[in-house]
Amino acid sequence: MPKLKRSFSAHNSRDLLFALVLITPALVVLLSLSIYPLIYSITISLQTETADGIKWGVSNFTRLISDAFFLTAMAHTFIYAVVALVFEFLIGLSLALLLNSQIRGRTLFRAALLVPMMLPTVVVGVVWRLMLNPNFGAINGTLKEVGVNTEPLTWTASPKLALLSVIAVDVWQWTPFVFLVLLAGLQAIPQEPYEAALIDGSSRWQTFRYVTLPLLKPAILIALLLRTMDLLRVFDQIFILTEGGPGFATETISLYIYRTAFRFFDFGYAAAMSFVLLALTNVISTIYIRFLQTKQTPT
Amino acid sequence: MIALCGCRSNQESSLKQLTLAVNSGVEGDALKQAALDYEKQTGVHINIAEFPYANLFEKELIDVNAETGAYDLIMLDDPWFPRFATKQFLTDLGPLMQKRGQAGPDPDFIPTSIALCRYPYQTGALYALPYVGNSQLFFYRKDLFEKHKLNEPLKWDDVLAAAKTIQENEHEGGKTYGYVMRAAQGNAAVADFMPIFWAFGGEMFDGSGMPTVNSPQGIAALKFMIELGKYSPPGYPSFNADEVGAHLLQGTAAMSINWPAWISSFSDATKSKVIGKMAFTTLPAAVKDGQAEIGNWLIAIPKDSRNAEAAIDFLLWTTSSEQMKLSAQRGNPPTRRSVFKDAELVAKYPSYPAQLKSLETSRPRPRTPQWNEIENVFGIFLSKANSAELTAEDAMNQANAEIEKIVQRAQ
Repeated sequence: MPKLKRSFSAHNSRDLLFALVLITPALVVLLSLSIYPLIYSITISLQTETADGIKWGVSNFTRLISDAFFLTAMAHTFIYAVVALVFEFLIGLSLALLLNSQIRGRTLFRAALLVPMMLPTVVVGVVWRLMLNPNFGAINGTLKEVGVNTEPLTWTASPKLALLSVIAVDVWQWTPFVFLVLLAGLQAIPQEPYEAALIDGSSRWQTFRYVTLPLLKPAILIALLLRTMDLLRVFDQIFILTEGGPGFATETISLYIYRTAFRFFDFGYAAAMSFVLLALTNVISTIYIRFLQTKQTPT
Repeated sequence: MIALCGCRSNQESSLKQLTLAVNSGVEGDALKQAALDYEKQTGVHINIAEFPYANLFEKELIDVNAETGAYDLIMLDDPWFPRFATKQFLTDLGPLMQKRGQAGPDPDFIPTSIALCRYPYQTGALYALPYVGNSQLFFYRKDLFEKHKLNEPLKWDDVLAAAKTIQENEHEGGKTYGYVMRAAQGNAAVADFMPIFWAFGGEMFDGSGMPTVNSPQGIAALKFMIELGKYSPPGYPSFNADEVGAHLLQGTAAMSINWPAWISSFSDATKSKVIGKMAFTTLPAAVKDGQAEIGNWLIAIPKDSRNAEAAIDFLLWTTSSEQMKLSAQRGNPPTRRSVFKDAELVAKYPSYPAQLKSLETSRPRPRTPQWNEIENVFGIFLSKANSAELTAEDAMNQANAEIEKIVQRAQ
């Protein structure tokens, strides 16, 4: 570092100019595509349109607190994120452990498991919408064939089942992503700690608990972090599957923001909601990253 | 993008270029065909910007807001119109038409369709012309009505009685539901509810513009809808047009409120199991006469179009009776009486007399710029009531309170 500093100060301003020229393109792109829109959305979140023109203030933010639709959509988003994350993690981890061992046909399984993740979300939404159709759908058809239920279940039409149904579709599609990240993590763990554990006579559970899990922690945290951020802004599959219904039963915050902005054309209020979502996502991500950093130092 | 650049680079010869924003679907397809014919006849080049229904509204509203003038003509679904007309985003067609020797729109246009194109409704300046004349119809299985000796569905009580009889007694080829409706939140639930609501004497707003959906009539109408829902296939609180269409085509439901666009599919052997069995009529009555919801496609000229003169020429040409007959042959219900009465078309579309009657007596959705938001909220509570999450009273009271908030915010 000191050397670089010295060389910088030693040279004339032409080099500084050259450096500025070099960073200008990146700076322009960043300013125009990232910084400017951000500032712009802050300004519109502070504006409300009234009959007598535009009014400045925090009324969009105060409106949030008394908006039952916003609060319900937030609650749905959190339930959706937590439930989906737990299932995706547990199933993804089990699959990764299973396919990290020397079982027959594991290459085939690995490839097959990745298919849901590679499909466009919209396609997944349409296919599941058809499968969950209470009258013609494959799910109720199969259940009927094996004699499980007599009355057709109305998956996406019942206020009680609808949120679970859309969560199930998310778990189906995105467990493979968690699996992929964790499998990569498992394969990066060297053999030596396992050999040492074997010599020390540890049980399979002890090996998993004290060797695999700590060494897998970075991969776990990355998988959870990326999934959490995606889950909090979930939009497309719910939009296709239920459009937030029945009633308001599956409306998440992204859907509500979209509706407010592009259906009702209330960009100020939509921007205010987006900032709340951004702040929450940021807080959660920071917690993950802290956790990731502190736990890495002891090794 | 290409359309946009094309427009800019040809500004000097702008009279030779027009850009249209159209809906992808049967309505837009007919307009695209007409544009090709026009290009051949006049040499005016027409660019088409086609968007799916869900995106068309936002593209157009962003365009007029940003004053880009990217489009010279825009297709509008009529409930969007007040949003565009109030802010004076559109060109007043009156002066342009007077320049061409027309004092006003041709009296051949159906009055309910022309009324939609004016702002304020019916009385104000003319900002658009009607292109596609949809209005709801009542669809029913005439074979089942004859078989079970049922009265023609003239009143909603007849509908309920018929739904019960058919569902309990008709088992040929599997279960047949008496009725099928859409109660998915948003447009679907509201569109299927409005004809019942109006027939029961409900009104969405009072004279001062405050909501009155929780009136005794409104609650009675919703209770009736829920009662009718008992004869609708399970899952109907999430149904949209596709599910309703599928049930009717498969012969698993006997009645529904639907739009004319579906009529042709019933005689298509690849889709329909009920060829020749459907009848189409006007909407049933209750304490008031039955009224259909109108759903017209309008064409308007954005205020910032640089080619308004060329645009009005195309607009007048494409809504002329000869051109509208072609559009009708391409599958769009017309907005002119003469086209509805055309012998050749009536032979091709036997439902035209019923469609004309329905359209002439139809009602528009409330003409407010906040309609999207109001419809969304109203639909949420209708859907909640139909999925048994709320009682009819609670749903209507809560809907009323939420609609009131929207109305107050806009003031």
